[in-house]
Amino acid sequence: MRALHWIIILGYVFLAALPLVWMGLTSIKHRDDTISMTPRFIPAMHEPQNISGPLFEATTRAYHQLADRFFHYLFNSILIGVCSTIASVALGTMAAYGFSRFKIPGAKDWLFFILSTRFLPPLAVVIPIFLMYRQLDLQNTHLGLIILYTAFNLSLAVWLMKGFIDEIPRAYEEAALVDGYSRLAAFRKIILPQAMTGMAVTAVFCLISAWNEYGFAMTLNQTSDAAKTVPVYFAGLQGQIEGVPWPQVSAGALIFVAPIVLFTVLVRKHLLRGVTFGTIKQ
Amino acid sequence: MSNGTGLRTPPYPTSLPEGEGTRRATSDVILKWSFIAPTLIFLIALNIFPLLYNIILSFTNANLSSDAHRFVGGQNYARIFSNPVFAQSIRTTALFVFFSVTIELGLGFVLALALKKNFFGKTIVLTVLLIPMMLSPAVMGLYWNLILNGSYGVLNQVLGAMHLPQPQWTTDPSLKLIALVMVDVWMWTPFMMLIALAGLNAIPNYIYEAAEIDRASRWMAFRRITLPMCAPLLLLAVLLRATDALKQFDLVMAITGPNDPSTQTLSALLYQVSLRNLQLGLSGGFSIVVLVIVIALASVFVRYLDALGKRQGKFS
Repeated sequence: MRALHWIIILGYVFLAALPLVWMGLTSIKHRDDTISMTPRFIPAMHEPQNISGPLFEATTRAYHQLADRFFHYLFNSILIGVCSTIASVALGTMAAYGFSRFKIPGAKDWLFFILSTRFLPPLAVVIPIFLMYRQLDLQNTHLGLIILYTAFNLSLAVWLMKGFIDEIPRAYEEAALVDGYSRLAAFRKIILPQAMTGMAVTAVFCLISAWNEYGFAMTLNQTSDAAKTVPVYFAGLQGQIEGVPWPQVSAGALIFVAPIVLFTVLVRKHLLRGVTFGTIKQ
Repeated sequence: MSNGTGLRTPPYPTSLPEGEGTRRATSDVILKWSFIAPTLIFLIALNIFPLLYNIILSFTNANLSSDAHRFVGGQNYARIFSNPVFAQSIRTTALFVFFSVTIELGLGFVLALALKKNFFGKTIVLTVLLIPMMLSPAVMGLYWNLILNGSYGVLNQVLGAMHLPQPQWTTDPSLKLIALVMVDVWMWTPFMMLIALAGLNAIPNYIYEAAEIDRASRWMAFRRITLPMCAPLLLLAVLLRATDALKQFDLVMAITGPNDPSTQTLSALLYQVSLRNLQLGLSGGFSIVVLVIVIALASVFVRYLDALGKRQGKFS
């Protein structure tokens, strides 16, 4: 029985980690080795044509060769991700505080309306948004995607933050109000510091979903590269398989997913809450 | 309760200091709406408004290449329902959702059972297992092309080394959907595991002890205690996953492209009609039909969530 446990666990860990490990290996391989008919598990240390050449030259080449374009897209991803995250956490925290502490007519209906926007298939609104953006000249702009991702992540931010704010005892604020604080001051000086962890966790989830978003980024950046994000760039390589420069792609993809891996490690205790909109707490 | 300003003071849920009375009440009303309104306006502008716009579009013959369009009644809807491609994509989507969610549930539950006990390195193992679901489907989907490739993909090379058949995952029409399910399972099994694990951990140990005293077999304990007590959370996970899988688009785009008949999910077909063929009216009708399907599922989810919340409230 114990052996069975370990076989299941280790076997699955192996399978789960394999694509990322393989990605790391591919990124330090010579191009020909990535599409050879016999698998190459250990990357060659030398250039195949130049055995006496410097060690590791071939292995780090993909990283040196990463096109400027990739870093342009990476910069777009960072800018759009960070700005939309700040906006959705700020708006989400305010709305969550409102729903948590005040009596609001139809509060439950509003909350479920907010949640339901998350279930809307993005493609169901993509055409009207595309037309709207064309009218407003927001196509191919960072601002356009920032607005869109903020709206998209708001539902998650409100629900997660409401869970966190509900857990802060009301007595703290009441004491502050008795001491003559205004509501706003109580929110700033009592609630915000207490909700910091929650805001950080919410920010990570918003950042990850903005970072990974593909559908809208692709639709709204068809005519220019100015605000294209990394997923659009990578997915666009599909279909030209023989021509895909796999070492560079792997190097780029690895740089792109590394922050996500780091953030996953940081919020691991709150993952359950994040993926269930704060409805399951542990 | 009137405070002379014409605004009704909401009854306070807590015993707030009422000494300053009306002034605080009025400023509270302003504060709460200025806190909530931006979010609601944002969501209405970017969700409700586009939806209404789409409904209007769906009754016209609008086209992205020309500005002129006119009212055509229910013609678009008639075209959608008489089109075999639409029926085919519903079937593809249903197969995809059914197989990926079922496999993810089974695998995730088995993993959760194996991970329930404490052991050395559990945190590390759990974290590694959870990483795939946080990664970008578009980027990882592209990368899976390399792994699944029929001739130089590492999966087939390993299969070949073990003298097993080497299927052409990404080019054989009958296998493409299976390849998509495989990648989806790789990505989302951790999600099921995470929720199943929460369900297992919530079962108090004394119930198992009582079962042991009653000499229930392990199988009996599993069937009569573990399964029923995990069921509500598992159902929640299945609903969440199903609504998500229903929208699957990124993986399809990255692995087979939007116009592959064997993997054309609803989202991919919608993309093809609207952004490749530029038929806005038709795609408007399409998205409304897709939306109705998703809403049906989501409303089940929301109602279930509500019931779950009530029950939790009762016990805690």
